[in-house]
Amino acid sequence: MVTLKIKRQDGDRTWFDHFEVEEKTGMTVLEALFHVQERQDGSLCFRYSCRGAVCGSCAMLINKVPRLACRTQVANVKDEADDEPKDGVAAVKQSEKDEDKNEILIEPLPNQKVIRDLIVDMDHFYSLVDSVRPWIDSQDREPEKVTLMEPSTQEQLERYTNCILCATCHGACPAAARDGNYLGPAALAKAWRFYLDPRSRDKDRDELLELLDSESGVWGCDVVYKCVAVCPKKVTPTPAILELRKKME
Amino acid sequence: MIDHDVLVIGGGLSGLRAALEAKFSGADVAIISKVYPIRSHSGAAQGGINASLGSDDSWKAHALDTVKGSDYLADQDTVEILCREAPERVIEMENWGTNFSRKDDGTIAQRPFGGAGFPRTCYAGDRTGHNLLHTLYEQVLKNKIKVYSEWLVTKLLVENGKCAGSVALNTANSEMDAFRAKATILATGGYGRIYQRSTNAIINRGSGIALAYMAGVPLQDMEFVQFHPTTLWDTNILITEGARGEGGYLYNKDHERFMANYAADAMELAPRDIVARAIQTEIDERRGFPGGYVQLDITHLGKEKINKRLPGIRQISIDFAGIDPVQEPIPVQPGQHYSMGGVSSNKDGETPLPGLYAVGECACISVHGANRLGGNSLLDTVVFGKRAGGAAAEYVKTVENQADEILIDALKNEQQRIEEMMGEGGENFAELRDELRAIMQEYVGVFRNREKLEHAVEAIRELKERGKELRVKNNSSVFNFELMNAIELKGMLELGHVIALGALVREESRGAHYRTDFPERDDENWLKHTLACFKPKGPELDYREVTIDRFQPERRAY
Repeated sequence: MVTLKIKRQDGDRTWFDHFEVEEKTGMTVLEALFHVQERQDGSLCFRYSCRGAVCGSCAMLINKVPRLACRTQVANVKDEADDEPKDGVAAVKQSEKDEDKNEILIEPLPNQKVIRDLIVDMDHFYSLVDSVRPWIDSQDREPEKVTLMEPSTQEQLERYTNCILCATCHGACPAAARDGNYLGPAALAKAWRFYLDPRSRDKDRDELLELLDSESGVWGCDVVYKCVAVCPKKVTPTPAILELRKKME
Repeated sequence: MIDHDVLVIGGGLSGLRAALEAKFSGADVAIISKVYPIRSHSGAAQGGINASLGSDDSWKAHALDTVKGSDYLADQDTVEILCREAPERVIEMENWGTNFSRKDDGTIAQRPFGGAGFPRTCYAGDRTGHNLLHTLYEQVLKNKIKVYSEWLVTKLLVENGKCAGSVALNTANSEMDAFRAKATILATGGYGRIYQRSTNAIINRGSGIALAYMAGVPLQDMEFVQFHPTTLWDTNILITEGARGEGGYLYNKDHERFMANYAADAMELAPRDIVARAIQTEIDERRGFPGGYVQLDITHLGKEKINKRLPGIRQISIDFAGIDPVQEPIPVQPGQHYSMGGVSSNKDGETPLPGLYAVGECACISVHGANRLGGNSLLDTVVFGKRAGGAAAEYVKTVENQADEILIDALKNEQQRIEEMMGEGGENFAELRDELRAIMQEYVGVFRNREKLEHAVEAIRELKERGKELRVKNNSSVFNFELMNAIELKGMLELGHVIALGALVREESRGAHYRTDFPERDDENWLKHTLACFKPKGPELDYREVTIDRFQPERRAY
């Protein structure tokens, strides 16, 4: 058996509930949550879609680390408090979990307003990403022709096009925690992806740099690499931010 | 009440593409989706999108492969459109920013896929769907198209023989509203989750197909259910056909490349139906590994190629099976993957109900016939998404809106229906759902016969009776997933019934529909499409001719 200690919220009321779930080999935290929702407490809510770590719906705080519930194995996190910090991210301190091992602490993703239980309001996060105008403007292009692109450029872009907008980086970011206007790692990584893209117009690149050249843009970053550490897709926002800074200097 | 000219239900590839085209054509368009569009199942597609870009390839060769792959059940006029328009759509996606993998000369790279005579599949590593989905979403943002995220459509409104809009539930607060639209485009994807083992996202419950069915629109060829040959053992997460396209081998427990016994020429690159049956036969005849799987070996490709061409597969294997395919073979088994059947619709996505369109996996435009070739579903979404969006935008210029009262009445009726599902006692959705999924897996799977299918039809009938007593105990109004599940389960039971009955009546083997008691294809009696119409007592079946022009049916050999 494994215990899920889940932070609940309904309106202004917040509390913790404990649920015992029978552990199976290979069980993920998402599966354990379904077990609770379908067999123990139908009112527990959390987002989900693909269950295969590609859609980004089920980001949440598991033992104080932002991660996707679907790719987190119960076996790997149930007695994590005793472990060394993983990937440079400090996991939950023993004092924040109950004494008993075999317990997983599950909370909503930080730095966003909680709607209910583990569901947070993603609108603010999306609005930050959307504000960098993340798209190719193909107005002046010849749409019947393929843009030729070096394989190495494609690979460089790939690091950033792999982003699934799950917001784990945003949940781990100290700058986002202190400044609600800070664009955050996902938006800035996205901005760099479009800056790099040979299909972007020079005019759009210039405007982008102007837009990002502020304290709520690239200069707000603490350069502590927490976003890089938690990203389930190995996207690297911090180096992107540093590259953008270089372009401005 | 909410008003738009065109309402697109579903925010995956076909829905986004349809919405964009409707917008370009000047219509007031909105998208409604039960999740945020970028969470759609399209994002899970790995392998690629087909287009005859090569100088020694042609749309005709693509069309022949598609028709042959379909076991001659595809309508050849629509296949022609699919293959002719493919290069244009792929190049358009490239121009909009899709990060396609490249050849050394900078053009789009293409890989071989099953059932194709040419390396025709354009790809973005093994994350093609993800790249396409984000590209289209970016264009939707750029074009400022309104999106209603996390709304579940529960009913289509039919008035004076036209689709007049729909009723939907805002899942964030359980409030319902009527959406008035002159044209409605269904783009809701497949129903994979009515099977126990499926590569599909958990949200793929066929809700849009069920909406059309309950509104009196016929469903076509629903008995043709694709089982992907290689899904990760137990979790059934997709292991792309690209893994075989890049040169992967299939082995049984005796380390025999068993495909030699089933498709000596094409080997691992035979079409999906053939490979799925081969693997299932190996497992059934005890040449699989304990637990029911075979091995997909890509270790010989080497770390560099795996990291370059199949990085997602490597990560999935590590995360979900604890296996690094650079060092060890991947354990795979067949799993439900794609719905060839769906809402009957034509080359412009028009259904027999004026004002209602259907595209993508929820539709049966009949380009996939009895078996879809890999790389053709992503293509289907953008080709027919564009066409349906354009057609709907033209159609709305010719019709008037329905009066307010009609929609308000429909909203009240629907509110009452949902209200009646709330309460203590009765049946629980999770139990009924699990029973349905077990029945479909066991009796309506890779291999079928009369006895199994008769059992399935009867068992589903009983589940439908019990489904009338479905009760939702959780009365929270904020994200009540039990309620959403219960609403969608009603549709899943209907679809299960249609699939099982269609499979029982079709006494032949064609493509993915394989009857052990009728192992041959029977063109004389069964070269025709199945149509299923909703009747209170159960589906009523009818049949329609297949459009055959360019390619006469031949025996399929690979």
